[in-house]
Amino acid sequence: MRFSYFLAEAFGSMRRNWVMAMAAVITVFISTAILGAVLVTRDNLNQGATNLKNRVMIEVFIRDNSSPAQVSALQHKIDVLKSQGQVKGYTYISKEQALAIFRKRFGERIVANLPINPLPASYQIQVQNTDNVDKVAAQFFNDPTVDNDPGTHNGVKYAKETVRKMLGTISLIEKGMWVVTIIFAAAAVLLISTTVRLSIFARRREVEIMRLVGATNWFIRWPFVFEGFITGLFGAILAGVFVWVGNWGIANWIKSTQIDFLSLRVYRLWWQGGTWPLGLLPTLALLGALLGAVGSLVALRRHLKT
Amino acid sequence: MIVFEDVTKVYDPDVVGLEDFTCHIGKGEFVFLVGPSGSGKSTLIKLVLKELRPDTGRILVAGRNLGTLRNSKVPLLRRNIGCVFQDFKLLPNKTVYDNVAYALEVVGEPRRSIRRKVPEILSLVGLAEKTNSLPHEISGGEQQRVSVARAFVNHPPLLLADEPTGNIDPETAVGIMQLLVRINRTGTTVVIATHDRDMVNRMRRRVLQLEAGRLVRDERRGSYDQVTEEVGDAF
Repeated sequence: MRFSYFLAEAFGSMRRNWVMAMAAVITVFISTAILGAVLVTRDNLNQGATNLKNRVMIEVFIRDNSSPAQVSALQHKIDVLKSQGQVKGYTYISKEQALAIFRKRFGERIVANLPINPLPASYQIQVQNTDNVDKVAAQFFNDPTVDNDPGTHNGVKYAKETVRKMLGTISLIEKGMWVVTIIFAAAAVLLISTTVRLSIFARRREVEIMRLVGATNWFIRWPFVFEGFITGLFGAILAGVFVWVGNWGIANWIKSTQIDFLSLRVYRLWWQGGTWPLGLLPTLALLGALLGAVGSLVALRRHLKT
Repeated sequence: MIVFEDVTKVYDPDVVGLEDFTCHIGKGEFVFLVGPSGSGKSTLIKLVLKELRPDTGRILVAGRNLGTLRNSKVPLLRRNIGCVFQDFKLLPNKTVYDNVAYALEVVGEPRRSIRRKVPEILSLVGLAEKTNSLPHEISGGEQQRVSVARAFVNHPPLLLADEPTGNIDPETAVGIMQLLVRINRTGTTVVIATHDRDMVNRMRRRVLQLEAGRLVRDERRGSYDQVTEEVGDAF
């Protein structure tokens, strides 16, 4: 194969039909940018879900009038659970620490007006397996040391419903994202092949002449395939940079707000992992280039029946 | 070179392209195909190029049976047939040089030999000065010479021309014909479909006359019309 000849042909024809080439680049740009944005969002949601799961934690509040012996009995109970592999770890938060955390979160002014410290001491327990939260929490429901109001378990707090709902929502959104991803990938192929078909239709005379002088089908195809490849590559690189800048901007914005727990990832262009086996930019670029080349081949099929 | 045996080609709603057409065109011959529009001249040329397939009958080109020729071999067949058309069929975005070079690129000719052959053939057709012009910058006669140059640059054993002088003025047409005669002298078989009465009468070559897809006359040193034929023979 005469690589340099086909490449020169492809570039020459793109120069001559630059309006069409621009249209194709923009098409690829839009499709891959949307695709990239969807993938980045998916990735971040995944990350968020993992974060949430790691944060599933049981807070056990201790009755203010408990004796040190009772508290250490409670701690022993947690230690036993830990040795059984149900609990990953725990921290003790004293009344003073609780107040400090409260102060940090809600400001000095509210705390300054409090005559006494109303916050109880607590144990924050991380469970080993999120699915077992209920079982672990139940161990403390009837413990006298725990600050339950009579007849309730409100001394044991764990993000039962909230977390479940959030995880449920995230997995739903993720499923939706898959659907969107597939639809946009299909749309991208169609758009590209339509664009290529238009450009081939505009040059059907050229193709006719090629066949008349005895060009083999592959000889006719290669310049078009290269053209699609270059177009796709170019559009997708633009899209990759666009998505990257967008992600960077949004991540920085989120960092500066209250919804920080989403912990959006700031990608590097070459970042690998998640949905990016080759890194964000290379994956998108390769994808775009393939879309372009395949689009060209699909569009050419009809024109090359002998 | 070309053998048609009982070839019939009917286009879709009952339009006859060729009917029971039989003829032999030998190596090195110079043949005119004459007849009114729609008499089957272009059909014949398309059949030789395997752009069309006959409904019945057998076609041999350079000893190859087109009926059994695989599709993948069609490009090879076409490389051995030079083609000249009424509308020139030049690539509008390529220079004169590149248009001719294209026929060689397709065959996989090394670049060095392309650089040698293209100027050679362009000076043969008298276009050495126009090498870098684009098709729309030169006259119709010149464009046709570019197309002849492209058809002949491979030195194919067979050259087909469909109304090569149809779009150019009579004086320029003479130049094109002389070019085709010169090509014929190198041993290339030349088949020309034409309406150009003067040209055919002047040249006195073999004439195949078609009417409604049938061969109605095959004459050694014929003229355009049957009547003048006797006159021609008397001389």
